[in-house]
Amino acid sequence: MSKSLFGKFLFVLMLAFMLLIAACNDEGSEEEPSDNEGDSSEQSSEEGSEDEESSEEEPESEADGDQIYSIDDFSEGVSNDGEPIDGGEITYGLVTDTAFEGTLNWAFYSGTHDAEILEWFDESLLTYDENFNATQEGAATFEVDQENSSITFTINENVNWHDGEPVTAEDWAYAYEVISHPEYDGPRGASAGFNLLEGIDAYRNGEADSIAGIEVVDEKTITFHYERLTPSLLTGGIWGYPLAKHIFEGIPIADMAASDAVRQNPIGFGPFKVESIVPGESVTMVANEDYWRGAPNLDGVTIRVINPNVVVNELETGGVDLVSTFPVDQYPANADMPNVEFVGGVDQAYTYIGFKLGHWDEEAGEVVYDPENMKMGDVNLRRAMWHAVDNSAVGERFYNGLRWNATTLIPPSHPDWHDDSIEAPTYDQEEAKRILDEAGYEDVNGDGMRETPEGEELVINFASMSGGDTAEPLARYYIQKWGEVGLNVQLVDGRLIEFNSFYERVENDDQAIDIYQGAWGVGYDVDPSGLYGRTAPYNYPRYASEENDRLLQEGISEEAFDVETRQQIYSEWQQLMVEEIPVFPTLYRSLLLPANNRVVNYDMHSDSKSHGVYLHELGVTQEEPAVAE
Amino acid sequence: MWKFTVRRLLISAPQILLLSIIIFWLAKQMPGDALTGLIDPNISAERKEEMREQLGLNNPWYIQYKDWLAGAVQGDFGESFRYKMDVSELVWQRIVNTFWLSLVSVFFIYAIGLPLGIISGRYNDKLIDQLITGYTYIGFATPIFIFGLVSLWVFGFMLGWFPTGGSVEPGLEPGTLEYILSKLQHLLLPSLAIALIGTVGTVQYLRSEIIDTKQKDFILTARAKGAPERRVYNKHIFRNSILPIAAFFGYEIVNLINGTIFIEQIFAYPGMGNLFIESILQRDFSVVTALVLITGVGAIVGALLSDIILSIVDPRIRIK
Repeated sequence: MSKSLFGKFLFVLMLAFMLLIAACNDEGSEEEPSDNEGDSSEQSSEEGSEDEESSEEEPESEADGDQIYSIDDFSEGVSNDGEPIDGGEITYGLVTDTAFEGTLNWAFYSGTHDAEILEWFDESLLTYDENFNATQEGAATFEVDQENSSITFTINENVNWHDGEPVTAEDWAYAYEVISHPEYDGPRGASAGFNLLEGIDAYRNGEADSIAGIEVVDEKTITFHYERLTPSLLTGGIWGYPLAKHIFEGIPIADMAASDAVRQNPIGFGPFKVESIVPGESVTMVANEDYWRGAPNLDGVTIRVINPNVVVNELETGGVDLVSTFPVDQYPANADMPNVEFVGGVDQAYTYIGFKLGHWDEEAGEVVYDPENMKMGDVNLRRAMWHAVDNSAVGERFYNGLRWNATTLIPPSHPDWHDDSIEAPTYDQEEAKRILDEAGYEDVNGDGMRETPEGEELVINFASMSGGDTAEPLARYYIQKWGEVGLNVQLVDGRLIEFNSFYERVENDDQAIDIYQGAWGVGYDVDPSGLYGRTAPYNYPRYASEENDRLLQEGISEEAFDVETRQQIYSEWQQLMVEEIPVFPTLYRSLLLPANNRVVNYDMHSDSKSHGVYLHELGVTQEEPAVAE
Repeated sequence: MWKFTVRRLLISAPQILLLSIIIFWLAKQMPGDALTGLIDPNISAERKEEMREQLGLNNPWYIQYKDWLAGAVQGDFGESFRYKMDVSELVWQRIVNTFWLSLVSVFFIYAIGLPLGIISGRYNDKLIDQLITGYTYIGFATPIFIFGLVSLWVFGFMLGWFPTGGSVEPGLEPGTLEYILSKLQHLLLPSLAIALIGTVGTVQYLRSEIIDTKQKDFILTARAKGAPERRVYNKHIFRNSILPIAAFFGYEIVNLINGTIFIEQIFAYPGMGNLFIESILQRDFSVVTALVLITGVGAIVGALLSDIILSIVDPRIRIK
């Protein structure tokens, strides 16, 4: 008797486990989009970060959801101000559940993880301040000649490649020649720094052997002649990574990305030198004693791939000292890890809801703004939808305050450009209802849902991407909130859409999609014309207006070299977007990075090209990493 | 037996061809391609179109298939879009890792499975059998990625007995003794995690087979002849009970080549399973098709291997 009972129990138990397996299997299909950071003026899609934050270990992170954090409470740098010991080695964790590609050259890489490795051993000749303007602190200093529309750079005398050869103007010109060459198959070479060069088209077509606009003055001096100057050039538009000509010269351009000079023995002029690579899993580096800013404090760095599920354990046991990313949703449960300090800052990204307002004209290469024929064409409807959702609550409930209500389309990660005086619609259901009533969206057939002013049924189709634990509840939350003001919003296909399908459908202006939720990472350059310009394919809402054209054009004109003028222009633009609402931003994001307590001279911007602490200063105060008891 | 093997191989060829067509077609039906995920205003639409043209992504699928097949028969599987290197080179890098992981796992699976199965079958319904059977139930019920995580947490992080990720200590010179030992050390925990879960099927099969064989007449005969108990078990029963295990063996190897995705991810071990998932999600078609083909060939060879082993173990099965 008891045996058969045991059998039944076992059966139920196994059934339960089977369900668990089925449920967990979805997680297996996590994806990592090619989150392409192009030139340093990247503006890439950020949809993937949702995935990175998902974790099988802690599905119920909301259990510790009471605590609300604020990014203002985080410091950008570590508080340890001890004297670094002479030497020492650290381990840097590359957080990913895939292997890194191993295309270790700035001109050829395409994955984010390769870029994270590159930061350690190769750097840009330019550095940037907190507003992403080029500074004179870098390996090259510059002089702008407004008269002749040219910029002259002088490379520091002490800048040498790891093999001892000097980094020359010739190398820099060579990088331009390779990237613009017809046989080059990588994704670089479309920023202002390339497109505005004199004679670039002739070179790209193969009509010229060299780029006329690049003038190598002497070994360390180079002048770029542009058709016209724009402020974008000095906010990341210029390609600042030379390519070692003495190494790559003999390799056909089409074979460069696969060559040993990129994959096995990559070279740079950064603070560390690559010593050995285990493909896809680890890289060891030693200090470059000849580094132009001075020899690094550390003797070496080991970079190894760690799975997002074990980040916390690796940090606790001192297995890694620093990591490339930390899943924000694991923070609340681990906020007081004793051997680790978290530094934080505002991420260069925002999440948004977009409205389809037209379509893309392939022939003309521009958007066709067509509000009359689109369901979401009425700006009042869009404004009401903005009023209807409570993004502060979303930030607190879903993200413990580590994401928060967004107001404009330029995030506060660009402090000089983000205009916080602009009043964007906030959560106010009554206001939303009032706007809808006034605009004629009323419930005429008594089903509780509003109809269009023409009296037709209004069903708004909402496309949202799958991935991560919060994707589904978040989409449901928005739908529910819109329902509360009487708008019938439905998920496209009744479910969340996989990443590739999502962007393919949004890009092709699928008729089934009226609104969608997306995210953008914003680059160094504040210029938003790549995302909202008339000729930008990434202008997914397909919005255009003359006012918009004017402001975006002025933002990159020569007058805009004056920072205040440019600020004024972009304030106007942010205001325009809040009034016209082709998209509305929902959340700004924070970025948290943990550091072992023994690490000194480390901050959010510890890479070679920002204003933070430079990597050669990075040090440790004891031989062994601190371990959690 | 040669005839049999040759015949099986001949049948395999059209099977593989058909498989490759289906897979190629299915892969092309996936929404998006390698460039869809490249959402970056710095890459102009024209540049993307140019790249599509360069990669031949605009051709209809059968043209692409033809091109691919022409290369594949010469051993050229094209270039990975994501890794920017030859697919064959990339796969080779990974398959070596997976091969060692599989080998050690298979070793553990049988090293654990065979004794447990024999003990369990011999002493069926005794306490020891119930313990072993209990273990197999838990094994069946535990998802491998949970078990992998837990064992990593306990043995890797808490006790610190094993390294917690990668296939080798960074920075060692390949070929040195230290390097080989480090590789082996990195293999132990993931392969044990695979084996402890993967072996339960073997244990159960062997157990029921032994219990079954125990009651056969020839065993009675053997006992009646006065053969000692050890000989009865080790010779008569074991040899007859091993059949389904042998049949399993070929498939086991194939499964291990493809089926270690979770373990590979958790242990940050760059192997085939990882590569497969990544390339599907990133629409790296050349890698996907190459991997599926390898898997398909593996499955067919595995089945063949199983049959051959079977016919060695059990002469009755040899097909004329």
